[in-house]
Amino acid sequence: MINPVEWPLVGSLKAVATLFTRMCAGRETGFNLGAPSCIPIKSTMDNPTTTQYANLMHNFILKARSTVREIDPQNDLTFLRIRSKKNEIMVAPDKDYFLIVIQNPTE
Amino acid sequence: MATSAQPGQLGLAGSAGAEALATSGTASTEGPERPGPLQDETLGVASVPSQWRGVQGIRGETVRARKSCQTASITTAEASVQARKHVDAEVQTEIPEPVSLPSVPRYNGPRLAAFLRKVEAMVTRELNKNWQSHAFDGFEVNWAEQQQTVTCLHTLSYPPAQGQGLHVTGVSWNSTGSVVACAYGRLDDGDWSTLRSFVCAWNLDRRGLSPQQPSAVVEVPSAAMCLAFHPTRPSHVAGGLYSGEVLVWDMSRPEDPLLWRTGLTDDTHTDPVYQVVWLPEPRHSHRFQVLSVAADGKVLLWQGVGAGRLQLSAGFALAVQQLPRNTKLKKPSRGETEVGATAVSFSSFDPSLFVLGTEGGFPLKCSLMAEDAAVTRMPSSVPLRAPAQFTFAPHGGPVYSVSCSPFHRNLFLSAGTDGHVHLYSMLQAQPLTSLQLSHKYLFAVRWSPVRPLVFAAASGEGDVQLFDLQKSSQKPAVSVRQTEDESPVYCLEFNCQQTQLLAAGDAKGTVKVWQLSSEFTEQGARETEHLDQLASEVAS
Repeated sequence: MINPVEWPLVGSLKAVATLFTRMCAGRETGFNLGAPSCIPIKSTMDNPTTTQYANLMHNFILKARSTVREIDPQNDLTFLRIRSKKNEIMVAPDKDYFLIVIQNPTE
Repeated sequence: MATSAQPGQLGLAGSAGAEALATSGTASTEGPERPGPLQDETLGVASVPSQWRGVQGIRGETVRARKSCQTASITTAEASVQARKHVDAEVQTEIPEPVSLPSVPRYNGPRLAAFLRKVEAMVTRELNKNWQSHAFDGFEVNWAEQQQTVTCLHTLSYPPAQGQGLHVTGVSWNSTGSVVACAYGRLDDGDWSTLRSFVCAWNLDRRGLSPQQPSAVVEVPSAAMCLAFHPTRPSHVAGGLYSGEVLVWDMSRPEDPLLWRTGLTDDTHTDPVYQVVWLPEPRHSHRFQVLSVAADGKVLLWQGVGAGRLQLSAGFALAVQQLPRNTKLKKPSRGETEVGATAVSFSSFDPSLFVLGTEGGFPLKCSLMAEDAAVTRMPSSVPLRAPAQFTFAPHGGPVYSVSCSPFHRNLFLSAGTDGHVHLYSMLQAQPLTSLQLSHKYLFAVRWSPVRPLVFAAASGEGDVQLFDLQKSSQKPAVSVRQTEDESPVYCLEFNCQQTQLLAAGDAKGTVKVWQLSSEFTEQGARETEHLDQLASEVAS
């Protein structure tokens, strides 16, 4: 979990905070924002779960991305979803960061 | 005579060498010291041609063959090896440093905000689509082979015990899930019999499993009423007898299996022991003690000390005067102060909390941490305490079995002789629901270890009934007939390691191992939430 005083700019702090609250307005379980070296930056879940998700998803995301690019080098990964019996994990990747969302879908 | 021949001239000097040989020979013999009169001369070589070849030619054709034989020379080689250098290396493990979250890197705030802004729209769109999506409705993936019905895998029995007409009074699976043990005794005899009885164990993973021949048989001096395997040691099993003794055996030692016994001392139970449970010791959680529950109202904790004795380490006694008065109970007849306990179940969320089923039909919520001294006339080496904290509404008859849910901290089931199963919450005295499963007695009820909404019950009509509260709360999902002549099924246990197996023992002296269909072994989506919902909506 990050210390808010480390945020360099006040403007960006507000922006990130509002984005988070908007996205957390549903019944999602958790949010995890990570740097590409899979260090979690911010999360709504507890620390051990966050690190576990970050570590496990990191390799998976890289593998998925390399799969897509190997099939077609002009293509690239935009979104990744894993659906399991109990919930759904969604990943939005980027050059520097990725965002992991865990959602409990209604049945 | 030694001629030193130059290497290159050997071929040319063949005849010359011969002459040299001849001349040198004469020269050497004509040395200056040699006496004169005898002179050496070399004469020509006289040769006689061989005849035998010609002779052979007269007789017939000559077949000349030249044969030679020689063993090939054995090649030998010698080599010697010696390590002349060696290196020493030492290895030592270091205490691992606690993994600390690496410090948050100095990331770029505006870039992070830009990323989030870019990504937010897409993610919220996907999240919203998921709420309304029906794409995965009814979509089930099977990772394992599906079993459609409940089948009987094994029918195990011990003919000498069956010959004596003994019933199976307790079954237990061991910690690895491969051995099932059963205790033989009689549940309908009222007298102190000198009936010798048995505890048998079958190893189901062994090849050549013979259903009539247990892999281990222990003779016990009196009818065994209950059985429990040690939680971590696969061969230790504790049993309670009709005489009130508690014994611990080691089934891997065929010649002398008895490890510990309580003996018949002042501390021992004076009535049949109905259930034994292994509990971790409070300070050393890898060592275990045995808790025994008997009809004399005592709940005793035994510890194995040297020389094979089980010593009382703590004890509780139930007395009518000390029962919490939150529920109106029948007035006890005069002179009766003990409340016989017939079943015990520990909560999986709070290890000091347990539920006792009693002969009066009311379950009791008790705690190992209770401090009040018990009002009892029974002598005991350790002061007995009164454990009861809360009394629940009674059944119509004695409670034979209780089981705490492994998935919800407040729910537990109790089954009694009135044929009903009550689902209680620890928070209120009245049961949440009451299900009538049988017109006869119910002897055992157990929650499933994998599915939060499933439990199994053993009835006096010879069925094993599996209930799924998700499907229907009125009738069983599956009802399997164990005995043909409706003799009762006395005990059942789920196998926690191989979750598709269920063992049930009946009055004919057989233990049947049932393989459950896949719907009972795989947890569906959101079952824990359903259980919570059930607990809260029925309670209101």
